[in-house]
Amino acid sequence: MSGADMITAGIDVGSSAVKVAVMRTDGRGGEEMLSGRCERMRRRDALEVARAVFEEALAESGAGRGEIGYVATTGEGEGVDFRTGHFYGMTTHARGGLFLEPEARAVIDIGALHTRALLMDGRAKVLGYRMTSQCASGSGQFLENITRYLGVTLEEIGPLSLAADDPEKCSSICAVLAETDVINMVSRGIPVPNILKGIHQSMAGRYYRLIAGAGARGVVLVTGGPAADVGLVRALQEEAAANRSPVEIRSHPRSVLAGAIGAALWGAFRARRLAEKGLALSGAGGA
Amino acid sequence: MTGGGRGHGRGGDGSCGCGPGEGGCGSAAPAAAGEAAAGAGAAGAVVARCTALMQDLRLGSVRAWKERTGGLAVGYMPVYVPREVLHAQGVLPVGIAGGGEMEIIRGDAYYQSYICHIPRSTVELGLDGSLDCLDGMLFPAICDVIRNLSGMWKMLFPGKLVRYMDVPQDFDPSMGGVFWRHEIRSLAEDLAARGARPLEDGALRDSIRAYNANRRRIRDLMELRRREPWKVPTHELYVVLRAGLVLPVEEHTALLDEYREAALADPDRRPLDQARVVVTGSFCEQPPLGLIKTLERAGCYIVDDDFVQVHRWLKGDVREDGDPVENLVRAFLEDSIAHPTRWIDRDRKGEELVARVRESRAEGVLFCAASFCDPALLDQPMIVAAVERAGIPWTGFKFSENTGQFQVIREQAGTFADSIKLWTGAQA
Repeated sequence: MSGADMITAGIDVGSSAVKVAVMRTDGRGGEEMLSGRCERMRRRDALEVARAVFEEALAESGAGRGEIGYVATTGEGEGVDFRTGHFYGMTTHARGGLFLEPEARAVIDIGALHTRALLMDGRAKVLGYRMTSQCASGSGQFLENITRYLGVTLEEIGPLSLAADDPEKCSSICAVLAETDVINMVSRGIPVPNILKGIHQSMAGRYYRLIAGAGARGVVLVTGGPAADVGLVRALQEEAAANRSPVEIRSHPRSVLAGAIGAALWGAFRARRLAEKGLALSGAGGA
Repeated sequence: MTGGGRGHGRGGDGSCGCGPGEGGCGSAAPAAAGEAAAGAGAAGAVVARCTALMQDLRLGSVRAWKERTGGLAVGYMPVYVPREVLHAQGVLPVGIAGGGEMEIIRGDAYYQSYICHIPRSTVELGLDGSLDCLDGMLFPAICDVIRNLSGMWKMLFPGKLVRYMDVPQDFDPSMGGVFWRHEIRSLAEDLAARGARPLEDGALRDSIRAYNANRRRIRDLMELRRREPWKVPTHELYVVLRAGLVLPVEEHTALLDEYREAALADPDRRPLDQARVVVTGSFCEQPPLGLIKTLERAGCYIVDDDFVQVHRWLKGDVREDGDPVENLVRAFLEDSIAHPTRWIDRDRKGEELVARVRESRAEGVLFCAASFCDPALLDQPMIVAAVERAGIPWTGFKFSENTGQFQVIREQAGTFADSIKLWTGAQA
């Protein structure tokens, strides 16, 4: 069994988006992503979105439902009724991070509500972590709020931030109080790129402290939706350089899918292990 | 994250990757669809009835029973009382398992902040009239706090029967047996003095039969859960067992049959890839239902536990022939579970838990004790040592019956389940 190809799916139900990845593995280290999708929730029922995105990803992969050996959920996906098993977010981001960036030995997972830095070994075993506290300060949700206040899209903020020439220091990264801060900056005539860069720098400082606190060294992969924000990633790289840090911050075009990819890969691992024990679960993929 | 036998304490420094960290403010996760499916249909209807009984702190079913029968109803704190004796005398034994999430207004005035929650809510229930349908209260020997509560009860409700049920800690029949026989007889006399039927051997044998039948059903359900935990999820079994605290035993036995039949017939109950765990330490103050659901949603199949333990205190049947009081005495002395409230040589503490882990094919242990529960927490280090000697992964956390936020426990249980599923058997 361990040598046979297997197709598995990972569903990462986040606070603001659902991500699905369909993966093929051969049990000997060969891993290939067949499809991956990310869909924002937009006030819809998370479980309905999860089902719909799963169907789309499955169709895109070309795999039939009966071919799916394990449907693994992560994040808030415990409620997905066609799951085979569920993995905790930290576990799946480590595995997905390793798939996307094999040199990575740490991940900074920036979610809509929380951010965590985790250390891992070459097998994606989590060795330690640091996590933000209860509020959403400096998280993906905070960035979303900022784009609303500034009237720009999420896709625009990265390039705008890179164009800054005199970043304005942001006094607060509180998702609630930031509105006042930003309105003040706008009323003072600060250009949008400089506002965004200042915000990115504030966030980067916070993330860097998590990374350093966790004791990361070497390559650190940024995962989660904000990983696509080139301005934020640049600010994080600059923060690390300013601190003469032994880490190298990297991102990946598929970083947003890291949790879903990791879930699918761990699902394949479990499916093989269960099969070896003669404990294959019925109903896998039975959406 | 978890090597065999390596524990994961509660520390929040995140150093092991399994700790709770700082994060989390949410309550229980949204209802899992598997859970919703399990909650539907005939089994769901039984569970809904049981949940309503559990949440009815004013004991409507007990009041109705008293109106219907004119009998006495006597409350008891969880753990163990010889319910057969009450039943034989026509008395309804009513298990009082605290007030759950009820608001405590006066109960807090009776206990210091470093005392567990159940005595506060029990006092609150007494003072707000919820328990006024009870003709008495029995306080088994659980700990000093419950002993103290029995004294308070005597002062607060002078017209009611109040007994502190000291149990033998010497299991020699010529010592502890004599003592326990005397306690049982004395309890029966107290009940008779309150208007209950005198204790007669024939009636007591019938009661033993009724409780044996009930215990057999519960053992069957436990076995079914060990075998196929997806068919008997613990958040359901728990409320079905809780219903047995307030229902007459015959009704509860019928309800257990109804639940088992409905659960087995439900085609939507399918296995998931979850870690099999034993949850231990919650034998007196009961965890909120949300906590049990959280553990299951986090990826754990609870295949054995200490919840509502009065139903399982006696491991097998009590003999139904011969002297029934002697049979109850011998059952207590010789067939009780290993328990923190029962004397066990310190070198043997944890042995029975390890055996339960083996028997249930569990892959790990969750120590889930109530905050400030002396019996559970004082025993825990010795039981942990036994678990570690046996190479069984474990983690631990504490709760209070009114805990409403489970995010940290969810993370801890989730990472523990992951570590079992992914790293058990792997090189550290």
